[in-house]
Amino acid sequence: MSNSRRLFLKGACAAVVGASGFTIATAKDQAGSKVEQSCKYALVHDETKCIGCDACSIACREVNQVPEGVSRLEIEREGPFGEYPDQYFRFTRKSCQQCDDTPCVKVCPTGAAYKDPKTGIVCVDEWKCVGCQYCIAACPYQIRFIHPVTKAADKCDFCKETRLKEGLLPACVDACPTKALTFGDISDPESQVVQVLKSAPSYRTKTDLGTRPKVFRIAAKGGEINL
Amino acid sequence: MSPFHFDSLVWPWPIAIYLFLAGISAGAICFAVLLKHFKLGRDAYKSGFVQAACLIAPLAVFAGLGILVIDLTKPFDFWKILVFYNPTSVMSVGVAVLMVYQVALFAWLACVFKTPVLNWCNGRWPIVSKIFNAIAKHEATITGLLVMLALSLGAYTGFLLSALTTYPMLNNPVLPLLFLISGLSSGAAGTLLGGVLLNGNPDGKEVHFIHNIEIPIILLEIVLLFTFFAGLILTGGQSQVAALAAIGEGFWGWIFWAGVVVVGLSMPLAFNLFMKASAKRKFSYVAVTASCSLVGVLLLRNFILYTGQMTIA
Repeated sequence: MSNSRRLFLKGACAAVVGASGFTIATAKDQAGSKVEQSCKYALVHDETKCIGCDACSIACREVNQVPEGVSRLEIEREGPFGEYPDQYFRFTRKSCQQCDDTPCVKVCPTGAAYKDPKTGIVCVDEWKCVGCQYCIAACPYQIRFIHPVTKAADKCDFCKETRLKEGLLPACVDACPTKALTFGDISDPESQVVQVLKSAPSYRTKTDLGTRPKVFRIAAKGGEINL
Repeated sequence: MSPFHFDSLVWPWPIAIYLFLAGISAGAICFAVLLKHFKLGRDAYKSGFVQAACLIAPLAVFAGLGILVIDLTKPFDFWKILVFYNPTSVMSVGVAVLMVYQVALFAWLACVFKTPVLNWCNGRWPIVSKIFNAIAKHEATITGLLVMLALSLGAYTGFLLSALTTYPMLNNPVLPLLFLISGLSSGAAGTLLGGVLLNGNPDGKEVHFIHNIEIPIILLEIVLLFTFFAGLILTGGQSQVAALAAIGEGFWGWIFWAGVVVVGLSMPLAFNLFMKASAKRKFSYVAVTASCSLVGVLLLRNFILYTGQMTIA
């Protein structure tokens, strides 16, 4: 009896070690043999040029048919700062950061959240999504939402299913009157997006969480000084 | 900020109930296994406490899964979680554990209740006795597997939340252990409460046995809870902000200090020590102690879930 129990324990431990070893081995394999990406789309939001007109978010809503009450893209405003007539606002873009290391994809139980291997865009497979909302909780940027019509998780996908398909720029980029948004392939050193990033210091938010976002920001002058 | 409605809240109370039910299921079946193995042996099925644990474990896990499915935005698509797997997702791995756990659970229940079921069948349906005998042959394997799966299930309820980097309070390595241990204590409490309600002897050897394990478990839970918050406060930054917002003044601070610390931990500990010292255990003592424990664990799940989602990284 005690012998069989010991045998069982040994067997179970071996099985656990084997199973975890196998998962780790295959995971590494996948990372190593990744197909070369054809491109990696990124976006720069030049906050010094942004005037907070909301043309981008309105265009986004129209093109991607985002219902009222939820949004893929919002411009957040802080301010006004300074004394009249030298008053100004700060505008920051709130949308999917297109992380390279995606918390949402990692937690999705069905694989409905995925990173498109061709473009590097983080997408949602509407059909596969069951609406557990794990991705919504996992996104440190809090930009995911449940689409009221499809009941699936939804968010900005750089207009992959609408404008990019037709060979056009994302709706927000096209709509911006001050050319504050630059979109392009970050793996191409000649692309406009790389040129813009080289021309001015940029920042990304919450990089300490290891998300490696592909939405860059060129900072406008600060409003308040907070310690 | 309202305690139940705030912008960063994604998962509300049904998830806390689900975590509670998964924990109590895992805990109850662990105690059923311990009772059978160390105290009761073949006659385990006659004990009200084992019966209670064996009722709680499957019912709680079904109810929990039911809540989980209803809480999806597309409840009728739940089968996709079972068909598609993502090894990096704690939820996906947890669902796999839950499925295997249920198989092991029913196999073990068949081993425990083989005698009464076969007696009831009384020679009718030979296939039933065939199946039960085949399962009972592997009882040792099933028991070992079941305990491991139950412990995994208890820990999974914590890992599910600790995988979220968004929330510094939840993204905490102590959380899975805390949930595992509090799940075990809720399992013990559920077994005791159900046992005395099913006419188990409140001064029986089962109660003595469980109480002996319950005291160190409560002490361990206190240590883990202390480590959980001390760790967050010492980490600084948003972790500290989250911890102080949670246990400081306000609705959830009251839930924590009065509900979790006093009713959920201190009172059961005091009652248990008192019962250990005084010779005789009574129905009311056992029932009240167990109820306090259960309320404490349920409040702890809600407290951690809500306050955890209040502060983002």
